[in-house]
Amino acid sequence: MRIVYRLFSGLRALLRKDRDELELDDELRAFLEADIDARMQSGMTRNDATRAARAHIGSLEAVKDHTRDAGWESRLENVWRDVRFAVRGLRRFPGFAAVAILTLALGIGANSAVFSVVNGLLLRALPVTAPERLAMISTQHSVNEGYGAGWSFAMWDQFHQRAQLFDGAIAWTYLPQRFDLADTGESEPADGLFVSGEFFAELGVPAFVGRTFLPEEDALDKAHEHVAVISYGFWQRRFGGAPDAIGRKMLVNRAPVTIIGVMPPEFLGPEIGRAFEIAIPIGSAPVILNEPTWAKPEGRSYLAVMLRLKAGQSRDAAAALLRGMYRQIVEAAMPRNGIWGVVQDDMMKDPIVLTPASAGTSELRRQYSQPLLTVLAIAAAVLLVACVNIANLLLARATARQQELQVRLAIGASRWRILQQMLVESLLLSGLGASLGLAVAAWGSRTLVAQLSTWFDRIVLDVSLDWRVVAFTATVAIATGVLFGMAPAITTFELARHGGGRSAIGSRSTDSRRAVVLRGGLLAAQVALSLVLVVAAGLFVRTFQKLGEVPLGFDSDRVLVVSVNASRSTVDAANRSGSYAQLVEAVRAIPGVTHAAASIHTPMNRGVTFVGDFRSVSGRDLPLTERRSIVNVVTPGWFETYGAAIKAGRLIQDFDTKSTPPVVVVNEAFAQKFFGTPSVVGKYIAPEIRGDVDPPQPTLIVGVVGNSVDQSLRYEAVPAVYQPLAQFSRPIPMTEFSLSIRAASGSPAALTRSVSAALTAVDRNLAFSFHLLADQVRGARNQERLVAWLSGFFGVLALLLAAIGLYGVTSYIVARRQTEIGIRVALGAQRADVVRVSVGHTAVVTAIGVVVGLGAAAIMTRYLKALLFGITPLDATTFVTASAVLATVALLTCYFPARRAARIDPMIALRSE
Amino acid sequence: MAPSDKQSGLVQGTLDMLILKTLALEPMHGYGIGVRLDQISRGIFQVNAGSLFPAFRRLERDGLIKAEWRTTDNNRRAKYYALTAAGRARLARATRDWETQAAAIARILRASPGEI
Repeated sequence: MRIVYRLFSGLRALLRKDRDELELDDELRAFLEADIDARMQSGMTRNDATRAARAHIGSLEAVKDHTRDAGWESRLENVWRDVRFAVRGLRRFPGFAAVAILTLALGIGANSAVFSVVNGLLLRALPVTAPERLAMISTQHSVNEGYGAGWSFAMWDQFHQRAQLFDGAIAWTYLPQRFDLADTGESEPADGLFVSGEFFAELGVPAFVGRTFLPEEDALDKAHEHVAVISYGFWQRRFGGAPDAIGRKMLVNRAPVTIIGVMPPEFLGPEIGRAFEIAIPIGSAPVILNEPTWAKPEGRSYLAVMLRLKAGQSRDAAAALLRGMYRQIVEAAMPRNGIWGVVQDDMMKDPIVLTPASAGTSELRRQYSQPLLTVLAIAAAVLLVACVNIANLLLARATARQQELQVRLAIGASRWRILQQMLVESLLLSGLGASLGLAVAAWGSRTLVAQLSTWFDRIVLDVSLDWRVVAFTATVAIATGVLFGMAPAITTFELARHGGGRSAIGSRSTDSRRAVVLRGGLLAAQVALSLVLVVAAGLFVRTFQKLGEVPLGFDSDRVLVVSVNASRSTVDAANRSGSYAQLVEAVRAIPGVTHAAASIHTPMNRGVTFVGDFRSVSGRDLPLTERRSIVNVVTPGWFETYGAAIKAGRLIQDFDTKSTPPVVVVNEAFAQKFFGTPSVVGKYIAPEIRGDVDPPQPTLIVGVVGNSVDQSLRYEAVPAVYQPLAQFSRPIPMTEFSLSIRAASGSPAALTRSVSAALTAVDRNLAFSFHLLADQVRGARNQERLVAWLSGFFGVLALLLAAIGLYGVTSYIVARRQTEIGIRVALGAQRADVVRVSVGHTAVVTAIGVVVGLGAAAIMTRYLKALLFGITPLDATTFVTASAVLATVALLTCYFPARRAARIDPMIALRSE
Repeated sequence: MAPSDKQSGLVQGTLDMLILKTLALEPMHGYGIGVRLDQISRGIFQVNAGSLFPAFRRLERDGLIKAEWRTTDNNRRAKYYALTAAGRARLARATRDWETQAAAIARILRASPGEI
C-alpha cells in the first residue's frame, strides 16, 4: 500500500515541480530565520547570528539537492537529464554516432530477423483454441525416426469412434494435395487438404465468411455434392474477395465442388510453413481422387490424426488409454488374412505415443531447425564483433573525455552517478540501433522466408513482429548496450578511484598502459571472431560448391518431366500399360524430341520413392534389414532420355514384353551391394514381398547402368533396380506416372505446348503439369544455398566491422603519437621506422587475433560436421584462405594511416602540442 | 547519505521514528523539530538541515506527516508538520519493534559466558 502511495505522490511531485521548489526555498529561508532569531535571543548580534546560522546550515544548494533526492522521481529526472546529455554528445560527433548506430542496426536487425523466422517456425503456437491441449497420435518408431505418423482411413475411423474418451479428434491428409482446378489439359494447381468434418470446429477456427463443415458433410459414400472451404488468400486472389464466392461451384480434379466458406486470414493450416488453399472433407476423397478404394485398408489414405485432450487429461494418460484399446482398434481396421496379419503384428510392436501438437506438425521444422539455429549462432557472433567494435570506439572517446570526468569528480559527483551516465549513453546507442534494427529485421525475415521457397514447397511463414520478437530485440539491445558500455565504464571507475590525480586539468591526457592493452585485446578478439565467421562461411560455400559437383549420373539440362494424372481417364487398369505406351509414342513423334519414356518415378521429384527388398541368387547373403533397393518401372528409351551411362549388357528394349522372360537392369551400386562385383549380367535376383503366398520367380539381370542421384545429392550410390513397364505383373493401380522428354536442343521448356497438345489429343481426361529437371536439381541444393548465402553475408559483415575497427584504432594511434613521430623524424628516423611505430601495434594485434581465431575455429567447426559435405570441418583450403583474406584486409586498412604517418612534417607535429 | 548522518550516528529509519515521536507531542516547524530533538536527547543527537529536510520529504511522501503553512509566534511564516493517522500507527509499531530489539540486544550484551 505504501508503494502505491509513494508512486502517486512521486507523480504528483513531478507535476508540481516548480511550485515545490519555491516552497522549499521558503521553508529553508524560514529555517534560517528561526535559527538567527534563536541565536539573537541568546545574545549574539544580528550579523554574528546570521553568519553562524549560515555556517551551521551549510550549503543551501547541497541541502536542496539532498532533499530532492529523497523522492524516487528525482532518479527519473536524473536519467532523463543523462539522456539529453548523451543525445547532445552524439550530435557533436555525428560520424561516430552514425557508424555505431548503423553497425548496431545491422547486427541487432540480423539477429532479430533470424529469430523471427525461428519464432515463426519453432515457437509460435497455431492460431487455434487451447493449443496446449492438442496432441498428435504417433508411434514410437515414427518419433525415433523424427517424422509424424500417418494412419489409414480405417484406423482414423476407429480413433474417431473413440473420440468421446477425449475432447474430440480430427484428421487431415498428411501429404499436401495438389488439386487441379483446370477443366482439361494442363493443370492449374492449388494446394489443398482433405480434413475431417469437425476439423475447424475442434480447432476453434471460425469461418471468416460463410461457414465451415458440418459433421454430416464428411461422409464416405456421398452421392450428393461436395463442399469446400477456401483460404483467405485464395479467396482474394481468385474471387477478388467477393462475398458471392460463397455458393459458387468450381472444379477440383474435374469434380464439381461448392464453396461454403472462407478461412480467417491468420489461419494457414495445421502445418507450420505450408499454406493450403482448399479444404475438402475426407469423405469426398475417393471421388475427388478418383480412387474408389481410397478408404479401404489397401487404399492410399495417409492421415495425420490429432486429439484434443480433456481439460486436465495428461498426454501420458491418454496414450495409455489408447494403448489399452490398440489391439481392438487394429483388428477392427483391417482384415486378418494374408499380408494383413503381418501388418497387424508390425503395428502391435510399435506402441502409440502422443506428441505435443501445440505448434503444429511440420516437415519444414525438421528440415530447417538445425541450419536456422546455426545461422542464429552466427548472427550472434557478428553482433558480438559489432559490440567489440563499438566498445573500442567508446574507449577511445572515454580517454579523450578524461578532463570532463575529472571536473565532474572534483565538484562532487559520485562514481555511481558517472557510471549511470555512461550506461545511459550506451543504452541510448543500442536502443537507437535496435529500433532501426527492427526495420531491418522485418525486411530481412521476409527475404529469408522467400529464399526458403523452392518450386515445390511454397513456404508461407508468419514472421510478423509479435511480442516474442520484440522482447528478444529489447533483450539483445540491453545486453549489447551493457556489454560495450562496460569497457569505458571500467576505465571510468579506475580513473575515479585514483581520484584523477594522474594528470592535472588542462594538460594532455595520455593512455594508461592498461587502456592500451585493453584496446589491443578487444581488437584481437574482434579479429579472431571475424576469422571464425569467415571460416564458417568458407566451409558452407565450399559445401554448396561440392554438392554442385556431385556427378548426377544423368543430363539435367535437356529433360522435361511431365507429371501425368490419369485418374479420370476412362481406360481401365488392365489396359493402362498399353495406353501409357501410346502416350510415349505420341510424344516421341513431336519434332524437337529425341527421346521420351514413361516411368513411375523420376529423380528428384520430391515425391514418394518406391522401394523393395531383394534377394540375390548366388550373390552375397545380406541380413534382412539390408536388402533394400529403389525400384523404378520404366519404358524403353528411359535411359537414353536421361543420358544414363550403360556399363555392361543391354538396356530395356521394346522386345521385353509380357510374353518374354522377365528381365531387369540394375545400377552399379546394386551390383556392388548384392553381388560384390560389377559384372552381374546373367545373374538372377528375386524380389521379396513379405506375406506373399507364391514366391516370385527369379528375374534375369540383362544390363548394368551407372549410378545416379535419386533424391538427395548427399547419397550418390543408391542401389536401384529398373523393371520394364510392359512386364509389370500386377495390373497397374498407379494413375500417376511421369513422362520424361529429352529435347534435341535448346531449353526443353519450349516443348510444353506441343506436348500438351499431343497428350490431350490421345486422352482428353488426362491432367498433367510440367517441371524442368534442371529446376528440380537446383531445388535439391536449396538448404545449402541458403546457409551459404547467409553465412557469406555475415562473414562479409564481420570482415567489414573488423576492418572498421582496425582502421579506427590505427588512425587513433597515429593521431595520438603524432608528436612522438615528429620527433623521431626530426632526429633522422627513416620511413620504415615511422611505419613500424604507427602500424606495429596493429600488426601484432592482428597476428594474435588470427592465431586465436584459427584455434577457436578449429574447435567450433566440429559442431558443423552434419551440415558439411565433401570437406572436413578442418578443411585446409578454407582455413588458409580465410587467414589470407583477413591478413590482406588488415594490411589494406593500415595502409592509409601508415601513409599519413609517413607524411608527417616534424615542424607541424611539434608545434601542435 | 549526507556526512552529518555519520556524525550523529543515526540510521535513516531511526531519524524518521524520532521525528514522528517529536511531532506526536505537538505539530511544529522544521527548525523547531531540530531544536526539540537536541533538547530531549540532551545534546546527543544534533541533526542538521541536510538530514532533516530529506527526512521531512520522505515522511511526507509516505503519507505519515502532513504540512501546512502557518505564522509563528515571531510573526514569521513557517511550514508546520503534523502527524497523520497513518503516521501515528507507524510510530506505535516502530516504538514496539524498537523496544523489543533493544531488550534483546541488552540481554545478549549482559549475558555471562555460560548463557550463550
